[in-house]
Amino acid sequence: MPPTTLKEYTYLERIEKLRATKMRHTEEKWQQLGSIDMDDHAIILPPPESRKLVNVVSGSGIPMKDALFKEFVPESNHASGGFFGPRICGENFRALLEMHPVYVDPISSLAGGYMVNFMSYRDPAWNPDLDYSHLHEEQRKYKLHHGIGAVQHFCQDMTIGFELGWGGILEKIHQYRKVNTDDEAQDLYDGLENMVLGFRNWIGRNAVTAREMAEKEKHPQLRRNLIEMADINERLVTESPQTFREACQWMLWYQMAGKMYNMGGSLGRIDQFLYPYYERDKERVILTDEEAIFHLACHFVMDTSYTQLGGPDASGKDTTNALSYLVLEAAHRLKIPVNVGVCVGENVDPNLLKRGVAILFDANTGIPKFLGVDRTSEGFAKNGYPIELGRQRAYSGCHWCAIPGREYTVNDCVKINLAAVFEVAVRDMVSDQNIEPSVDELWRRYEKHLQRAVEVVAESLDFHMDHMYKVFPELHLDLLCHGPIEKGRDASHGGVEYYNLCVDGAGLATVADSFAALEQRIEKEERLSWDELMHLLETDWAGADGERARLMMKKVPRYGSGGSPADEYGVRISQTFTNFVKAKPTPKGFNMIPGIFSWAATILLGKDVGATPNGRHTKAPISHGPTPDPGFRKDAAPTALAIAVASVQPGYGNTAPMQIELDPGLSRNDEDLEKVADLIKTHFELGGTQINMNILDKKKLLEAHEDPSKHPDLIVRVTGFSAYFASLSPEMRQIVVDRIIS
Amino acid sequence: MSKMGVVFHIQRFSIHDGPGIRTTVFLKSCAMSCFWCHNPEGRHPHPEIQYFQDRCIACGECVKACPNHAHEMQNGQHIFLRERCQASSECVETCYSNALELTGKHMRVEGIMEEVLRDRAFYESSNGGVTLSGGEPALQRDFARELLERCKGEGIHTAIETCGYSRWQDLEALLPVTDLIMMDIKLMTPDKHQVATGNSNQRILANARRLTLTDKPIIFRTPVVPTVNDSQEEIGKIVTFVRRLMDLRRKDGRGTGESEGIKYELLPFHKLASDKYFSLGLENKVSNIDPPTKEKMLELANVAKRSGVDARIR
Repeated sequence: MPPTTLKEYTYLERIEKLRATKMRHTEEKWQQLGSIDMDDHAIILPPPESRKLVNVVSGSGIPMKDALFKEFVPESNHASGGFFGPRICGENFRALLEMHPVYVDPISSLAGGYMVNFMSYRDPAWNPDLDYSHLHEEQRKYKLHHGIGAVQHFCQDMTIGFELGWGGILEKIHQYRKVNTDDEAQDLYDGLENMVLGFRNWIGRNAVTAREMAEKEKHPQLRRNLIEMADINERLVTESPQTFREACQWMLWYQMAGKMYNMGGSLGRIDQFLYPYYERDKERVILTDEEAIFHLACHFVMDTSYTQLGGPDASGKDTTNALSYLVLEAAHRLKIPVNVGVCVGENVDPNLLKRGVAILFDANTGIPKFLGVDRTSEGFAKNGYPIELGRQRAYSGCHWCAIPGREYTVNDCVKINLAAVFEVAVRDMVSDQNIEPSVDELWRRYEKHLQRAVEVVAESLDFHMDHMYKVFPELHLDLLCHGPIEKGRDASHGGVEYYNLCVDGAGLATVADSFAALEQRIEKEERLSWDELMHLLETDWAGADGERARLMMKKVPRYGSGGSPADEYGVRISQTFTNFVKAKPTPKGFNMIPGIFSWAATILLGKDVGATPNGRHTKAPISHGPTPDPGFRKDAAPTALAIAVASVQPGYGNTAPMQIELDPGLSRNDEDLEKVADLIKTHFELGGTQINMNILDKKKLLEAHEDPSKHPDLIVRVTGFSAYFASLSPEMRQIVVDRIIS
Repeated sequence: MSKMGVVFHIQRFSIHDGPGIRTTVFLKSCAMSCFWCHNPEGRHPHPEIQYFQDRCIACGECVKACPNHAHEMQNGQHIFLRERCQASSECVETCYSNALELTGKHMRVEGIMEEVLRDRAFYESSNGGVTLSGGEPALQRDFARELLERCKGEGIHTAIETCGYSRWQDLEALLPVTDLIMMDIKLMTPDKHQVATGNSNQRILANARRLTLTDKPIIFRTPVVPTVNDSQEEIGKIVTFVRRLMDLRRKDGRGTGESEGIKYELLPFHKLASDKYFSLGLENKVSNIDPPTKEKMLELANVAKRSGVDARIR
């Protein structure tokens, strides 16, 4: 046979192949794990022979499966069977890394893939000796997501790792081990050291595999690639990255381990910390923009983490650079659920927004999202910090920012279900025989209970801050933070400089619409008595009359309609919540920052609440973050939505993101795209903090809802995160569909 | 007290009715009866009840509420007897499922301004403003004029969308308070125009010439409707006319820019109004017509180009 010439793949072809591989992995996950109502973290299933499926609960509260390694059993150091504390967590994680199968795709420029969630091995997750039963009653009463046991949700400083490499980090641990000799520090160093050794083993084994694969590879281009991959990773076992590709590879190892350790690993300002490598390689003419896009795509296909593009430096000067556009391009070409956020602000390069909007309408994947950086920096300064610090907070999670390597936040972990508090207030009022029920009285009770709910959260957070390091420390993030190694303290226990604990309210529209409906139908029009209302709520609007009453309550002008009593309630509820959160720090002095966001938990939070006077059925999802309920206006006017959401911002640096869905037909040319960009800009000028936008074709969405396999590649921005529509639970899909059809 | 008019919709974030982000106020009443009309609820001068059968829960409350006995229940089914309806709207208030809706409300200029001003920040950031559409805004001349005046007083850019079928003096009265005119030229062939729209095009073409002689920016527009005007021949006639108007304005020395303040757009017909026809008890004559393809629109834009008119496809 004549020798065949194997053709060289272009970068674009390689990206397409990577996407196809990811699609295959994803479809396998759907079959094995079921619905996943959260980020697509690019996890790969373990090989079938070592795969064990366990039952877990997704972020939305829907049961799902998780896949673990059959052969990995963590050591326990407690009678409960759990493992608690830095040393054993580090040892167990190291053991996991050391047995973790390698993953090398010759098409990619970067090695590695991760297959399990270490968190799923933590059973029990909390040390039962650390008892907080004194908080249970009120935590349950208000259905609080109280934050005890919360992990990650703050941001590392990647430059620490880039500078030191694994060799340097290990040396740093050894150096400070001699300085901080107390037990807590030594225990932490044990954990951290194990972590690093695990990393080095994992990376080294992947390098060996890449070398072996290169020897067998027939395709010259792929063989070259595998050899480079082996060379790079052999170096990265100890050394710091020197080129753009090496930096991407280093970052990918760190990120994948973070995902594996506790679903952490937020990217933050990737266009800043990778820029020196980009610039240097470009100067040395060893990197083209096309290649840079490819390396970034190779990263994103294995790590979909949250990224900020552009935005101010500490002095307020815009940092948008060539790499910001390349990152956007990489996400665009991949067309998978990547979480890229584009900064929008007075000094930010307006072309970045323009390009972002064009990509959004071109690909219809909900990418990118938009970040109102001026408002979040100014808001953060209201906590008593200089605005320069606020500008350094990097977008690194669903709806949140943190100062890389210097701030501990428990972002997105604490939820005060405003609807559950409202329900407590209603019951409290109607059961009081000494008073005449009224909307005013209900408001007074609502305030009272909301205040108490905030206090219970504050006490819970103090408990968390006292004990978390002994249960499941932040070993992964500690490695790249300023302080934990230097002080010998976990980030959750004094290791970092700033502590700003995120406290989110959820279900704003449900409560605002409920108050407005009660005011109009019971008090102004007297169409309903309080007794009748309670009967309707208790029977979940049963029967034809119940349904009619439900529709009557629903028809009252809603939050978001503009100038309605419900709009006023929306503002009042947000302000009251904000005032309570900001009235005082936790009893132990931790600053709390309010936001309004429910994440995918909008389903789970809804299951805790009975029927509400806004016409909502019992256990139905509560409203989504600060966004009005679907059908808030007949025309769903985006400007009305933008004004409403801007009006309910807590304003202390954490966000209340606007969720918005637009029809692809809206934009017919560049001029229309500019109008969408103006909508975004103006929302931020009015006070908005973040926008999650979908461009969704109604027909396609409905088809996919009926039969997800019809459009397996349909991607939607569910909330702060984006995901394959087909991977969502029917309940979550319904929420997305409702936003479009109402 | 400000003037009162009949308005059937106020659309915020309207981005296809003039420059920037706009609020479009739809005024009821139109003398034309184009069978493909996107806004059939805008034709009749008075408020009307729309009935959306699929939303009805057959609770029967409208039967009790209507003073004119326009609603009946037969075998558990709701029957709407439109011929008895006076659009007095008691039924709408009691219809919580929104199966009955009132289209067209008597509104004062103040009330409309309240809604219009909510989006001021968006007009400012996008160089947008307010557009009066319909129906035919010139048919509610005094009301439209006051509304436009109030907008101008607030520093808001104003535009009107007109079918051109009105008395010149009514249209002319709006000009001092209008920054941009968008006017339809649907067909040049008189008898075809008569059949398709129910009216002659003489008055429209005359108004187009008169508007050309003012210094107002104008966008002439043609809704491209298959079976009506989607041929090279018909569009050719229209663009020849538009070209003449452009020349007329140039000779007159007025206007600015390449096309002397006159632009031309082709708007593809869409089927979004089907539900509205049913809800108003009107015959839907467009159910068998599909929107023109992109290729067809490009072909027609090329026809315009050959006549020296740059046509923008919306």
